[in-house]
Amino acid sequence: MTIQSTTGGAAAETAAPWALSLTDVSVTYPNGTRALKNVSVHIEPGEIVSIVGLSGSGKSTLIRTINGLVPVTSGWVTAGGHDVTRARGRALRELRGHVGMIFQGFNLADRVSVLDNVLVGRFAHTPTIRTVLGLNRAADRELALRALDSVGMLEKVWTRAGALSGGQKQRVAIARALSQEPSVMLADEPVASLDPPTAHAVMNDLARTSSERGLTVLINIHLMDLARQYTQRMIGLRDGELVYDGPAAEATDADFEQIYGRPIQGRDRLGSV
Amino acid sequence: MSRREVAQRHGEVAPGPDEPVPSPGAVEQTTVTSTPASTPALPPKPSRVTATLAAVATGAVVLAATAGLNISWTELGDVPGRVVEYLLLMFADPNWEKLPRALFETWRSISMAWLGAIGCVVVSIPLGMLAASGMGPAWLRVGLRAIFAVIRAVPEVIIALVLLTVTGLTPFTGALALGIAGIGTQSKWVYEAVESAPTGATEAVRAAGGSTAEIARWAIWPAVAPVLMSFALYRCEINIRTSAVLGLVGAGGIGSMLSNYTNYREWDTVGMLLIVVVVITMVFDLISGSIRRRIMEGARVRDVDRTR
Repeated sequence: MTIQSTTGGAAAETAAPWALSLTDVSVTYPNGTRALKNVSVHIEPGEIVSIVGLSGSGKSTLIRTINGLVPVTSGWVTAGGHDVTRARGRALRELRGHVGMIFQGFNLADRVSVLDNVLVGRFAHTPTIRTVLGLNRAADRELALRALDSVGMLEKVWTRAGALSGGQKQRVAIARALSQEPSVMLADEPVASLDPPTAHAVMNDLARTSSERGLTVLINIHLMDLARQYTQRMIGLRDGELVYDGPAAEATDADFEQIYGRPIQGRDRLGSV
Repeated sequence: MSRREVAQRHGEVAPGPDEPVPSPGAVEQTTVTSTPASTPALPPKPSRVTATLAAVATGAVVLAATAGLNISWTELGDVPGRVVEYLLLMFADPNWEKLPRALFETWRSISMAWLGAIGCVVVSIPLGMLAASGMGPAWLRVGLRAIFAVIRAVPEVIIALVLLTVTGLTPFTGALALGIAGIGTQSKWVYEAVESAPTGATEAVRAAGGSTAEIARWAIWPAVAPVLMSFALYRCEINIRTSAVLGLVGAGGIGSMLSNYTNYREWDTVGMLLIVVVVITMVFDLISGSIRRRIMEGARVRDVDRTR
């Protein structure tokens, strides 16, 4: 199989980025935890936004309301003009197909090859009967391989995902999200399980591939230096409430102290590598 | 006397000018209650009435059961002697003449066990997956779990007896009975394995727009396949043991042969058959056990801690 050697996904077909909008969104979990309290925020197409806050501040919940993994208790969420809040069944899956997501724990199927893991990104665009039987189309395979190539993981295509290192797993997860040809990229603490040099390398890959495709990007992150370095705009959450919204590069230590509700500590920075 | 006691006594003793001096007895009393060495007031003893009543009731049931069986206690002394007598009849000089036929019947028993296990596993995996929470609709889950519970409550032998009237005295009846009877437990294992699988890959497939079938195939199945393989082998082990019992009701195989020779009272042949059954069963347990251990230890999942 030949891959057109594209340096990154610049030549890859790009879907138009989506605007995201949360209006007065609250989320209360069945156990009574109020994870989000009346959050309203609008994100322009192509913006790269970090969501900053301590663990338990509602970051993961906020990011999951955008693809409907967490249903909102009240309020509205729209992505690219589509109402996520009301979407059900096939419409919701169709919508999720346009929203790539990567996770802190990588969430790959460990006993399955890298290629099969990346092909998960094509599920929303493929009939279930094909994917369940493993009959993937050449075009889908091509997209998956290109996505792998753009994160430098092409030579691992036949490796079992479980045999990869953490940084490699997260790259495969990025490739899985990119193979969706998404309009939005969500990242939930993408580098929190990685060591500092790998964290920077993965953040670079994430930022580069996303900006090449002009995606709208939302990154949950609790490290201030990564938020400043890799994102344009920063949203601060504390106890489920929006407490900061402004340019990431100019966010001062005082701003972070206000978001965290405590003085800055050493572990709030990844540190320079 | 400790300092605290002194202070206390002093405080008690120091009266106002008008107050009467407390009697030495009263002083002594307050001192005693505050001394750590003295007996403190006991909390009320918890009632043991329920436990006592339960014990008495259990005893009554045991006595009634013993009385109801008409056990001739005088003959109890002869039992060990007779056991030894029959053991000698069976194992002193087992009759190996019928060994080829015994091995052939064993082969039929094992075939019965295998077919039953395969049928059981093939049916249980999809049903168990549908019964796992988060996979099928709630009404289906409840219904399937109720069916599994009913099947678990019916012994293989009963199912075989019912099937005998339909399919006749054949090993196929045995295989069918084993297959059906195993579904209850096997499916329960399946849905418990599915529910305890790590949720990360499931979330990722869902986030990518995957349907429930796609989640089952590409997130759940890779995670639980080794466990399910191990359960399938275990089902086979169980079936090999049970197939001998099914032979007793006429489903064929080594159990039928055993049953027949017991009726003919050919104890030397019975002894040989018992040796064959025990050895074959143990060998199968050993093989299957080592394969299962291999599967499970090769399948250790390193799960990454997720913090929300």
